[in-house]
Amino acid sequence: MAKPTDFVQGTLDLLILKTISLEPKHGWAIAKRIQQVSKEALQIQQGSLYPALHRLEQQAWIKAEWRPAESGRMAKFYSLTRSGRKQLERELANWTRLSTAINIVIQEV
Amino acid sequence: MRILEKARLRLRSLFGRPRADFELDEELRFHLDQLSEENVAAGMPPEEARRAAQRAMGGIAQYKEECRDMRRVNLIEDFVQDLRYAIRSLAKSPGFTAIVVATLALGIGANTAIFTIVHGVLLRPLDYPKPDRLVYLTAESAATGGTQSALSAAEYREFRQMSRSFTAVGAYSTGGAAYTTGEVNLSAGERPVRVRSISADAQLFEALGIPPQQGRLFRDEETSRWTGTLPPPIAILSDRLWRTAFGGRPVVGQKVGIEGRPHEIVGIMPPGADLMDHHPEVWLPLWLHPNMASERGAHVLYAVGRLKEGITFEAARTELSAFVENWGGRTGTKEHVPSNRWLSPADHTLRLQTLQEAVAGSSSRPLWVLQAAAGFVLLIVCANLANLTMARAGSRKREFVLRAALGASRFRLIRQSVTESVVMSGAGGLLGVWLASVGVRALVRAYPGSLPRTDGLVAGLPVLLVTLGLSTGTALLFGLVSLGRGRTSGMVMALKEGGRGSSGAWRRYARRGLVIAQVAFAAVLAIGAALLAQTVYHLTRADAGFDRSRLATFSMTLPMATFEPDTRAQAYQRVLERLRPVPGVLATAAMSGLPPNRTADAIGTVFENHLPGDGRPSEIVDYYQLVMGDYFGTMGIPLIAGRGFEPTGNASQGKVAVVNETLAKRIWKGQDPIGRRLRPPGGWFGAGGAVWHTVIGVAKDVRQQGVDRPAGAEIYISLDQHGVAPPSMNVVMRTTLPTGALAGTIERVVREVDASVPVVGLRDMDSVFAESIRRPRLLARLLGAFAGLALLLAAIGTYGVLSYMVTERRREIGIRVALGAARLSVLTQILKQGLEVTALGAAVGVVGALAVNRLMASMLFGVQPADTVTIAVVMATILAVAVVASWVPAWRASRVDPSVVLRED
Repeated sequence: MAKPTDFVQGTLDLLILKTISLEPKHGWAIAKRIQQVSKEALQIQQGSLYPALHRLEQQAWIKAEWRPAESGRMAKFYSLTRSGRKQLERELANWTRLSTAINIVIQEV
Repeated sequence: MRILEKARLRLRSLFGRPRADFELDEELRFHLDQLSEENVAAGMPPEEARRAAQRAMGGIAQYKEECRDMRRVNLIEDFVQDLRYAIRSLAKSPGFTAIVVATLALGIGANTAIFTIVHGVLLRPLDYPKPDRLVYLTAESAATGGTQSALSAAEYREFRQMSRSFTAVGAYSTGGAAYTTGEVNLSAGERPVRVRSISADAQLFEALGIPPQQGRLFRDEETSRWTGTLPPPIAILSDRLWRTAFGGRPVVGQKVGIEGRPHEIVGIMPPGADLMDHHPEVWLPLWLHPNMASERGAHVLYAVGRLKEGITFEAARTELSAFVENWGGRTGTKEHVPSNRWLSPADHTLRLQTLQEAVAGSSSRPLWVLQAAAGFVLLIVCANLANLTMARAGSRKREFVLRAALGASRFRLIRQSVTESVVMSGAGGLLGVWLASVGVRALVRAYPGSLPRTDGLVAGLPVLLVTLGLSTGTALLFGLVSLGRGRTSGMVMALKEGGRGSSGAWRRYARRGLVIAQVAFAAVLAIGAALLAQTVYHLTRADAGFDRSRLATFSMTLPMATFEPDTRAQAYQRVLERLRPVPGVLATAAMSGLPPNRTADAIGTVFENHLPGDGRPSEIVDYYQLVMGDYFGTMGIPLIAGRGFEPTGNASQGKVAVVNETLAKRIWKGQDPIGRRLRPPGGWFGAGGAVWHTVIGVAKDVRQQGVDRPAGAEIYISLDQHGVAPPSMNVVMRTTLPTGALAGTIERVVREVDASVPVVGLRDMDSVFAESIRRPRLLARLLGAFAGLALLLAAIGTYGVLSYMVTERRREIGIRVALGAARLSVLTQILKQGLEVTALGAAVGVVGALAVNRLMASMLFGVQPADTVTIAVVMATILAVAVVASWVPAWRASRVDPSVVLRED
């Protein structure tokens, strides 16, 4: 069970930002969504998720609001801010550049 | 925008902490519930599902802490925590805290107060546009050592013609011109008031650059054509006079009575408009009597210039120096021109100062001395506090070691102790600022007029910033000093040692060094204060040349508009005649200039059969004293040769004069002056043409311009003989009554002579003297207070170090006593240690004082900076204080009971 932070620093931020870019989600839903989309390959630990969410919120990239979840209980929903959207674009570009580079290296050697 | 948003988030995290924590709890609980619901859905029983979820979640407390860390405000939260802890631990030792805060408040208060004055008087820019471009041109005289003396009208005009460095050069006069005393009688309706006046020309306003609030300023033709017998009847009011005397009504264009003549109010100055701290209430056009304007010896004008853009002050100074080098050649005159080479005592030169420097004048050096003294006090305070904190850190060693053992980082411990000192110095700083503002206000009230520019004295932003810097600096200084040791390696030792704790060699030396430094600084201050105290003593006891006991004086001015020189003389004679028979009045006389605080006249005078060394036709005489009545008898001025003026001054006889010793020596050099003849310039005091006067007597020197200044050359003229009088005279009475008891009679007598003339400045001669030495007295008192404070602090420091040492060595002393040491020898041993430290400190202090006190030399009178008696007395005092401070710990050491001490652990 590899922690996302284990493979590439900062990837978790990218995953979170990307996951909530379509619609606001609470922490549980974010973890579930990443798990599902990655076909169970990426398991997000609560120990990493919540500090990451709080950090992104302090950076003003995401904002939180309390509203009822599917079950009707109040949950904290996170959504992207305008600067968060820009940050997502930056991180995506970074990621593309990085993974391309890694691919090239791997294929060359 | 993101920065603002982030700041908002930080603030929310900081102040909304309970809410944020609650939300975090909710968020994590939601996650946990979801997890257990999932488990239930997978078929687990609810209880087990919940436990499994909790296992999967792991340490919730740890997540929470991590989330909090993400809020990035822990540093501040820690500080708040430290702050609470610091306040709690300081509250537990109120005695220590009170001493520290009070000491700091005194140290910071003294510095803030003095810096408020230094800033307000010396550093604060003047209230004109571009004040750094303004310069002040004055004369400096060789004979009287007088600086900032006035220029003659001719010099002023010549300088304006020659100089190329200024956009404008203007002049003003506060006396000596048409309005003679710097004060005028002003009648705004029914009641006459005495107001401060200044006579200024149009160029002066141009140079200063202050526009009028209403109306206009003077025009060039109104202030530069000195024709006729009286100045043009126009006036400009100050904002304050306009508001107080005229209730702020529109008055421009209306008439107001000044010196008995209607003047048109042409304008009103903006609020606070001032010049050279003179605080004029009415601005009058500059006007000189033609006699005065052409007399090169009549120094009556002060000049202010505004430098052209791009011309530096230095350049203007060089230009002036070049003019003075060859003034006579440039202007085509030989008589009494400024010169750089002083051949005779009557010579003078011209000096350029920035206006800012000029306003501060001679107050600058005393203020910096006070600032340095206050700085010394603060250093002593710091040393004392460092000592105190070290002692406290010693007794709190176990606490700190325990906290370190429980995992507190060294950085965290340092922060804790710095926080404590920040709290104390913050409190001390606040208290100090309060003390300073109270103190400055009290000083300004208690010593009016002893310092310039005191009306705008407030602890403004620059002062508060300096105070903040001082508090922070002290906090760091003594907060860090207490951590000088405390390496973790020593911690185990400290824990083992228990409460006994002994301090290392480093700390012992450090503490002694601090006490030595304190004593040294205190010694410097005490020697300085003692020198100034003696200066004040010598100034009060100084022989001014006349008997000032039971002498009452007041001045009055008879307006030029309603009086002629001869009617003035008659009026003054009437006043003297009516005062003479008053019971309790022994003798009365009148004089033109009141010693010991009058201004110099510097008037060119011709002496028969005497040629000044440089070939000029006349010698400059520093002072002319125009007198009425039995002047020498009333004043108690002894006559060394010849006689004084006869009461029956007969106008038909040859005119006579009395000279002083200095003049007799300067002109006749040991030959008999009686019967020699001299000729004052005609007209300037109201008499007719220049006539020869025969010297009939030589009077003892009288200090005219400060008791600490050498007496200049002086000539006494009897106005009774001439039958004329200048507008303003000072009346003196030798009396057996207190001055207050005479006030009513004097008022009545003056009113009978002229109802529109007020009695000005009625007081006894002792208060005139007290006023003349107000500044040295203020300086001596302040420095004395600082020195007292420094001595007290040094004593506390000595006491602290010794008592700490005694506590530390109780066991050792106990053993020695048990082995048979006499109590007396224990006592003397501790005493000796205290005295050793003090003697060393005092010795260092004396060396320092010898180096520093030379700067004070110009402020001293009657005592040398290196006066051995003073130094010896101060040393003895310091040692006596040290004996007292060491006695208590030494006595306590001698009382140590071995049977108690040895059983203690």
